[in-house]
Amino acid sequence: MATTNLFDFPPQPYTGEKARLTRAFDYLILVLALFLFIGAFHLHMALTVGDWDFWLDWKDRQWWPLVTPLMAITFPAAVQSVMWTHFRLPLGATLCVSCLLIGMWITRIFAYHYWNYFPINVVLPATLMPSALVLDMILMLSNSLTVTSILGGMSFALLFYPSNWPIFAMFHTSVEYGNAQLTIADVFGFQYIRTGMPEYLRLIERGTLRTYGQYATPLSAFCSALLCTLMYPLWWHLGKWFATIRYVKTI
Amino acid sequence: MFIHIKNYVANVFLALTCLLAAGPNNAYAHGEKALEPFIRMRTIQWYDVHLTQDKLKINEEVTITGKFHVAEDWPRSVPKPDMAYLNVAVPGPVFIRTERYLSGQPLMSSVALKLGGDYDFKIVLKARIPGRYHIHPFFNLHDAGAVMGPGQWVDVTGDPAAFTNSVKTISGETVDMESFGFANGVSWHVFWIVLGTAWLLWWVRRPLFIPRFKMLKSGHGDALITPLDKTIAKAILVAVPLFVFGAYAMTESQYPNAIPLQAALDQIEPLPPAVNAGKVNIKVIRTEYRVPVRAMNMVAQIHNYSDQPIRIGEFASANLRFINPSLGQSGKNEDDTLVAAKGLVIDDDSLIQPGETKTVSMAAADALWETEKLDGLFRDADSRMGGLLFLYDPSGRRYIASISTSVIPKFD
Amino acid sequence: MAVTTSGHLPAQAEHGQSQLPWYIRDLYKYLLAFAGLTAIYIGLRLYQGAYGVLAGLDSTEPAFQTYWMRLFHVELIFLALVYPALWGYLWLSRDHNLDEIAAKEELTRYFTLTMWISIYTFAVYWAGSYFAEQDNSWHQVAIRDTPFTANHIIVFYFCFPMYILLGGSAWLYARTRLPLYAKQISLPLTLAVLGPFMILVSVGFNEWGHTFWFREEFFAVPLHYGFVAGVWFSLAVGGILLQAVNRMIELLDKIEDMP
Repeated sequence: MATTNLFDFPPQPYTGEKARLTRAFDYLILVLALFLFIGAFHLHMALTVGDWDFWLDWKDRQWWPLVTPLMAITFPAAVQSVMWTHFRLPLGATLCVSCLLIGMWITRIFAYHYWNYFPINVVLPATLMPSALVLDMILMLSNSLTVTSILGGMSFALLFYPSNWPIFAMFHTSVEYGNAQLTIADVFGFQYIRTGMPEYLRLIERGTLRTYGQYATPLSAFCSALLCTLMYPLWWHLGKWFATIRYVKTI
Repeated sequence: MFIHIKNYVANVFLALTCLLAAGPNNAYAHGEKALEPFIRMRTIQWYDVHLTQDKLKINEEVTITGKFHVAEDWPRSVPKPDMAYLNVAVPGPVFIRTERYLSGQPLMSSVALKLGGDYDFKIVLKARIPGRYHIHPFFNLHDAGAVMGPGQWVDVTGDPAAFTNSVKTISGETVDMESFGFANGVSWHVFWIVLGTAWLLWWVRRPLFIPRFKMLKSGHGDALITPLDKTIAKAILVAVPLFVFGAYAMTESQYPNAIPLQAALDQIEPLPPAVNAGKVNIKVIRTEYRVPVRAMNMVAQIHNYSDQPIRIGEFASANLRFINPSLGQSGKNEDDTLVAAKGLVIDDDSLIQPGETKTVSMAAADALWETEKLDGLFRDADSRMGGLLFLYDPSGRRYIASISTSVIPKFD
Repeated sequence: MAVTTSGHLPAQAEHGQSQLPWYIRDLYKYLLAFAGLTAIYIGLRLYQGAYGVLAGLDSTEPAFQTYWMRLFHVELIFLALVYPALWGYLWLSRDHNLDEIAAKEELTRYFTLTMWISIYTFAVYWAGSYFAEQDNSWHQVAIRDTPFTANHIIVFYFCFPMYILLGGSAWLYARTRLPLYAKQISLPLTLAVLGPFMILVSVGFNEWGHTFWFREEFFAVPLHYGFVAGVWFSLAVGGILLQAVNRMIELLDKIEDMP
């Protein structure tokens, strides 16, 4: 079934009306999936990673790079298990992350900014797109759950912090404020009043003994990498289980 | 024609912006009555709270000053104030907080308060969004909620676009906080979203679900991934991590002195005692709340350890102030809706002489107990109340006592 | 319009004028539903913009009763009318002759079912994404003093019931109009509707927790995990897709090839 042109599709099982019918079905499913994953994945992320993603002064070196990939690899793994296993579509992770970003950006602009006065730079979301792209590529090229769990899961976690550092590093510039050294992110937290998010709620690195000197982030990233290699197959199977085609007599 | 369309689009956009943004900001009060009465009465006991002005233009500052006593009889259901945050109740960042001090020291983070401690505070706010706001200082108490201080109305006028907020970094660079990092952040997001979308479109352009499923089932799954697909995937697999780590390395060299988020708890000691300072000792013997007349009747034994005769001037609890009208010293803000200017009646209002111990009956009576939802106290799991009693000597010097007592309801 | 099955397919004749292909005969209704829901949700957001800060900050103020509790009651009345109307219609107009359904008709109904689920997921978007995260933002502006905040009234008591209504409608549509779903109960469709329904039930847990042990707004806390577990069940949509694809391939094999 060699293709004659690089951009040609492989021979298709349907032609004519049936091809148009199945294409119409594609579009319906795509619209369905778009809103489903914006709604579902965004809710999952908001309620498990939420605050780390909402606020600049939560994006620390210990928990943010650990929790975000760990919670974010869930839906991509589950969706890949359906999209790859049954359709050979290597886009589950990219689709989920794109939907997540759409949902987050809309809310940051129309809720935080327009309704509740926050400058958007205080609520800049993190990106998981490089992690998602690499996860999709590894699954496609390896066609292996084991390889994707190990290499994909690790890459997903390890790429998170370096992909986001170019966005957020500048907020970690130090400022002398109130007779203390703060980051610009901390100053945002101090200045822009949040009645329901007092500083003490932040689950951030408090500082502790470090075997590896000042290198806190790689430790968190590698810890997340390990956990993601376990989370990936767990959610792959969860996705597979949810995508059951069973009909039952009673519920 | 084009200009007309452009103007029309601009107008529609402006109208949409106005609609999506919060409407006219004539905000009412905000949730002061949310907490159980015993928390509002027996945790942070605020007094002497003042705002420097009630009319501001954008970029102008208002300073809130005040004092509070941390009640000794702290409710057992509320975790001890080892983690507290001095906040301001306004509808979000309509102001920015530029300075904050506790007991004269800058307070940048959360703080541990000491039971029985006396503190004063100062918060400087800079007007950012026009509107009419009711401003309160308040404490976020960990796992307990927002304990409000007294509030005051403030009007802010002017053009919000004129608001400026710049901060100087340690290296001397001036940063515009309203826009800092926005363009850079958006650029990175756009870059990655374009790449992600390109990958999605690469697949979406071809027949998807039913045909691919059928081909896979019929054993033609290999044809679904073309050699070109694989080549692109390999290129992305190599290029994305290389690019990510390249950009990371460049960022590291651009911000070599970036520091982690600062997480230290501020350590601030209380001021010398101002409440229960040893000059006056008050023991409340019995307290009844008479429901029909909305009166808190307290019988208290007062011992005057000072060298001056004293009289009771005011009882304050959960920001309600019951003033003894026969004294001129207190009740200055009689237009404050939470002040009962004649609310405190004392059966024997004569001076308590130095060294004298006297038992007096006081009635703090006003509908405010009900309207401020403090009368639900005796239906709570903890029906003890507390407050500050202000006494004055003839020279106007003030003696403050924090009292607490269980309350017995009377329904007749 | 009652849906019944006939031996021949009326779709082509009836829908010839609309120039829509027979399999997407409900496209306009689908687009209309999108438009209607968009108007409702954007309307609610504009209402929040107009009256949130103005009258939504203190539940004890009379203005709160006027602008917010009244809206809450209007929502309840709307839902009380729409639920029996929509579900009643779907049930009463059910197809009694599912054994004799033609392949093209069944295919069309798979399209319509997909449209129903799509509308359901559109409602899931507003509930799970926009208004859900907006709740965090609103909690930074208003002090929590009631379970019926200016955003909870929209997200918990309108958006959640709305997606349950539409998810239930999708389930009922399949149960009453598609042979496989009528003969037995589709496990993934049921999971995809019931799981997110449990998110509404989790509101009780959320409000209990925020009343007794947690007044601040911190999103990633176990108190909110009821919502999270509920939304995982939406992954069962993958199973619905697979059920549909399997059946549609069988049905496509039964109809003639057309140019």
